[in-house]
Amino acid sequence: MGLEWQYVDHALPFLLKGALVTLEVSSLAVLLGLLVGIVVTVARQSRFKALRAVVLAYISVVRGTPLFIQILIVYYALPALGLDLPRFESGVIALSLNSGAYISEMIRGGLTAIPRGQLDAAKAFGMPNGLSWRRIILPQVLFLILPPLTVEFTGLLKASALLSVIGLVELTRTAQRVIGETLRSPEVWLTTAAIYFVMCFVLGAITRRLEKFASAYRV
Amino acid sequence: MSFSMSVITDNWSIFASGFVATVIFCAISTVLGLLFSVPIALSQLSRTWWWRVPARVLVEIVRDTPFLVQVFVIYFVLPAMGVPMSSTAAGLLALSLYGAVYFSESIRGAILSVPKGQVDAARATGMSQSLALRKIVFPQMLGYALPPLGNQVIGLIKDSAVLSIIAVPELTMAFQNVLGTTFAAPEAFVTVAVLYWMLTAAVAFGMSRLERLTPTYRSTRQAVLLLAAADR
Repeated sequence: MGLEWQYVDHALPFLLKGALVTLEVSSLAVLLGLLVGIVVTVARQSRFKALRAVVLAYISVVRGTPLFIQILIVYYALPALGLDLPRFESGVIALSLNSGAYISEMIRGGLTAIPRGQLDAAKAFGMPNGLSWRRIILPQVLFLILPPLTVEFTGLLKASALLSVIGLVELTRTAQRVIGETLRSPEVWLTTAAIYFVMCFVLGAITRRLEKFASAYRV
Repeated sequence: MSFSMSVITDNWSIFASGFVATVIFCAISTVLGLLFSVPIALSQLSRTWWWRVPARVLVEIVRDTPFLVQVFVIYFVLPAMGVPMSSTAAGLLALSLYGAVYFSESIRGAILSVPKGQVDAARATGMSQSLALRKIVFPQMLGYALPPLGNQVIGLIKDSAVLSIIAVPELTMAFQNVLGTTFAAPEAFVTVAVLYWMLTAAVAFGMSRLERLTPTYRSTRQAVLLLAAADR
């Protein structure tokens, strides 16, 4: 086996630049996904049956079909409907629509951990419903779901490799380009895998820290 | 924009064979994954470090890199090291490895969910470690392991779509072929999504049935009865 690591010296700056795009796309996606998740959670408790049905269908489709297909749908099928999006934007939208469904499940789980009495107590003090959600319930829920949210972020970081297929120049696409130039595929793929590993490993360590915090808070 | 059923009916045989291929690939990888996941889980729980460390390293590497990159490493790097690889073989290997590692995490978690005192009790009555594992831990573990395993099998099915990128002839590949010849995006997208959705829904249903069948021994009384039965 002949691995020639001098090619990596040449490739590394490009790959790190690609890794930055990967981080960018996945952090935007997790933030937007959180927003989608909150909207979905609220819509699920709506009085309107039709809205609830739409949301449940959305969750079922997102969870039941491959993310790869979802990415292709957002990139190829939406322009057919008259919505033409650049690669970066459609990548972020595909990822955040996907993670929104999963994050809404997290929020539901977080909500069950908060005693209903807190809302009643806030009401007894004369706090309006909206204010007690904003000031009392949501901050606690967000704190509780912080660990699973970092797990979701790690998942999105890995999933964003699929965006290479629609031509977004993130880490994986950069690797393919570098390989196209140098024709040294094994070294570049191993380096790429190592960069992903470092990013996810660090995020995993952060998650474990956050879990400790959250469990101390729960008591 | 119009939706024509003929796009679906004309290309039905392509979709169908892709669907069957996806089912076969996922079934093989699930079985292979389950087979390898138990030793990986047990190695991680081993008291000797030369079992524990390599298993942990393998699990961390697979969990902390994208599946697509794993597929590329297996498909492009292994041949460069002298291991010949067809795209189908690389796909099966990548999917099985993925299954083995993720399943092993569920199984490890399930083993840890069985109260440790039960194994101590079993050892105290003179059962060997492996007998305690077989008779006490494994039967109870199933109840804990099945729900996460079900989710992971569904995850494996969904991630198998990635294999189309190295041209493994499965459902997503079939879909891309139809897309390429008909230029009929909406019809092809709906068909492939529905097919995947049906497959994952069927697995979810099957797993929920299976969960109902597995006994969960949670009470001490039952554990004691089990111990007595194993003692005979």
